[in-house]
Amino acid sequence: MADVIVVGAGGGGPVVAKELAGRGIDVLLLEAGPRHGRPREEWTHFENDANNPLSGFFRFGPSDRSKPAWFRETPQNSFLWQLSGVGGTTQHYYGNCPRAYPGVFAGYEGPDAGAYDTAHRFPFPYEELVPYYEWVEATLPVQTAAMGTKEERFFRGCETLGIPVQTTKTTTGASYRPQENAILQPGGTAGRTRDPSQLRFPQATGCTFCGHCFQGCMQPIAAPRNLFAKRSTDNSYVPMALTADAWAPEGRPITLVTDAFVTRVHTETRGGRLVATGVTWRDTRTGDTHREDATVVVLAGGCTETPRLWLNSGLPNANGWVGRGYTDHFFDWVIGRFDEDTGNSKGVGSSARCDFPGYGGLENVGLPPALQAFSFTLSDSGIRGHYRNGRGATGPWDGPAGRVIGPELKDVLAGNADKLLNVLVITDDDVEAQNRVTLSALPADAHGPVAKVQFHQRRRTARTLANREFLVRKAVELLRGAGARAVYRLDWAPLILHVQSSMRMGASEADSVLDENAEARGVGRLFVADNSALPNALGGPNPTLTTQALATRTAERIFQRYFDGDPWVATESPVVSTDPRVTERLATVDA
Amino acid sequence: MSPVTPARTVSRRAFLARIGVLGAAAGVGGRLLLGPAASGAPAQVPDALRRLLAELARDTLNGLTTFVVPGPDRYSRAQGTPRSEPGALEAGATDFMIEALDNFVPFPQQVARPVAAALATGLSDLGIELPGNLLDLLPLPLDTLDEALTRLLEGDDAIPLSLVVALLLNLVATQVNPLAVSGPFLSPFARLRFAEKARAFALIEGPDADLVALLDTELPEPLRASVSGLLRFVGGALIEFPAFGAYNERAVYDPGSRTLTGTPVGWTLTGYGGVSDGWDDFRGYYQDRTEVSD
Repeated sequence: MADVIVVGAGGGGPVVAKELAGRGIDVLLLEAGPRHGRPREEWTHFENDANNPLSGFFRFGPSDRSKPAWFRETPQNSFLWQLSGVGGTTQHYYGNCPRAYPGVFAGYEGPDAGAYDTAHRFPFPYEELVPYYEWVEATLPVQTAAMGTKEERFFRGCETLGIPVQTTKTTTGASYRPQENAILQPGGTAGRTRDPSQLRFPQATGCTFCGHCFQGCMQPIAAPRNLFAKRSTDNSYVPMALTADAWAPEGRPITLVTDAFVTRVHTETRGGRLVATGVTWRDTRTGDTHREDATVVVLAGGCTETPRLWLNSGLPNANGWVGRGYTDHFFDWVIGRFDEDTGNSKGVGSSARCDFPGYGGLENVGLPPALQAFSFTLSDSGIRGHYRNGRGATGPWDGPAGRVIGPELKDVLAGNADKLLNVLVITDDDVEAQNRVTLSALPADAHGPVAKVQFHQRRRTARTLANREFLVRKAVELLRGAGARAVYRLDWAPLILHVQSSMRMGASEADSVLDENAEARGVGRLFVADNSALPNALGGPNPTLTTQALATRTAERIFQRYFDGDPWVATESPVVSTDPRVTERLATVDA
Repeated sequence: MSPVTPARTVSRRAFLARIGVLGAAAGVGGRLLLGPAASGAPAQVPDALRRLLAELARDTLNGLTTFVVPGPDRYSRAQGTPRSEPGALEAGATDFMIEALDNFVPFPQQVARPVAAALATGLSDLGIELPGNLLDLLPLPLDTLDEALTRLLEGDDAIPLSLVVALLLNLVATQVNPLAVSGPFLSPFARLRFAEKARAFALIEGPDADLVALLDTELPEPLRASVSGLLRFVGGALIEFPAFGAYNERAVYDPGSRTLTGTPVGWTLTGYGGVSDGWDDFRGYYQDRTEVSD
């Protein structure tokens, strides 16, 4: 019997685990995927070894890489890119930590108040989340990103857009800026040499500009895990949760069990109320099943697996919103080709962005060659010059939107690994009931019926469709301002990578699964702490920071409601995850 | 087995030609499939057919990977886009595709098998006949081949997904260009021009109603509704994966030492500087601002 069971060690679950561990709560953290305890022995920087979605060390699948990945049904041209393993999808994220726009919260009264997804706001004001943002920003920590060549180039384009530089954490209007990243700024020799013998910790600290955020961060060489540059939860919150007694007066280290796929949430009726009592999980290596009870259960398996687990557990779904309202920022992708060096393959994945509240945002993205090639071939607009699949829009970009393949792909990539600049279009997309997770009719796997993820790409709301067109044109303007010789618009098919709101919290019982405390409306003692708990798409900002702030708030609510504790964020100061006490204790904890 | 009427034979024969099986048998494995008397023990027929179909799958996927990333090979020449620099074949992209499809795609056999069966035997109602003079060029005893294919599909062995994909591409290829049932290569898809391959993808991604109806015939409810979505997904993935495969390191990666045995083709093509533990690319902070606050 644990006090709290947290299902999933991705971007959100470890936050709840660490915060409650710091309060002395007995936490069991279950992760379906691998531990990845020794990155230098398990990982490489190679794209296929790392990122092959079927067999790479970063995939949604079991730790035994000789076995197939886990299946999901995606009944459309799309690509669902989430990772199992400790750290979850933060293992390959870029550490981008913008805050949500204030306009997506209750009570917002700015002049642009009508420009957002007003039907699906946060059930509380922005100001209420600010202390939790600050807490997470100090814990990770979040820092202003350093520039590389590609950021210099990106900013040159931004400077032609006629918008100001944002110099605050809160976004209040159209602007551009360096990212606020959960990446330690370069220190010592980091970023100043390519000689590996000079890039060892502590001679080098923080980001070494290796260009491999997407292949997992293990820099600098020989650094302790909690001092790796990128603050994915495997490098930040999980180390803190495992060492809670070292840095918190009342702390109690969590129990982490990996290769543990939770297949059922158990419930019983107490005093006329249905409540969660524990979970069953399957050891993915042996096939054995285990059951554990707890006072509180927290689901954090992500926007696809959390609704799957809910539905496979037969939990109530009174308003039909379990799995619905899935948002994905309706990405598009615009690529500029330059005559000059862009530094595309070097440095942090993204260190610069533009924000357009009411529409969404743009960010630069650097890629190594195979992922760059992949990015040229994902499209809902057919093959450029051959067929348009009913779309193939023309505009200020060059030629029709669509896949670039064959001789044209060879030509645009030839010698151009570092002469391309990618802009990710991050659309403020509306919560829509039709975009959803259900259970697939295809055969079940060892963990039950699999998830089916449906996005109706062409039937999104008028506001969502218009937002993306607005942003694409800004991206093209930016790239031309930066000096691009040619600009390609891909019209990406859904790349389901920024995921939000499939188990959304909301003010209305009619269209939300969670109440304003992230507790399930239909099941007591059951909380959700991953991106699926978010009420909406945040206006476009990357979701991880907001999920982590919300998860911190959720941990407080759990502690208050079920453990008679007092809140702490308003009265205490957080310990940073790079704290020497974490480093020292971590060295004694078996990875 | 039920008696085969002449009309039914022509229809099956047309179908087998369209998915490339007859052509492949004539080109490579035909001697193994000339009937029980000629081929020896009937039990060996499925093995022979499996080898033949594996060759057909590889040939088809060569036609696919070079469509996405052409090079100096004969497939790129046949489609009319030869290149002087290395392409998908030199980068091992076909091996990448076969390995991925056959070993790692977690696609359930409960679906792969009926889809393959639909592609292989369910065409008699489709109603698209091939010109008779083309059928005359395929002088194989159809019953034996048909039986062997049926045995393969009804057996217990896993149906390789690379074969299912190849059958799909070849079927659509002959829809785009009926003349593709014969010619160089084993695979009708590989015989197409670049623009014809693009038209084949337009049909898959569309997806073509006849194709959906064909695949539906063998799928039990509630899976029938899954077919059009599946085709849309496949239409995307079959272009994206060869691109990723042609530009990554797999062909020269040694899993034992976790190092490369040579320079990946994709790195040479793009001028990529290679993987590193760091670069000297730090350019300071924008406007010298190292932190912000509200």
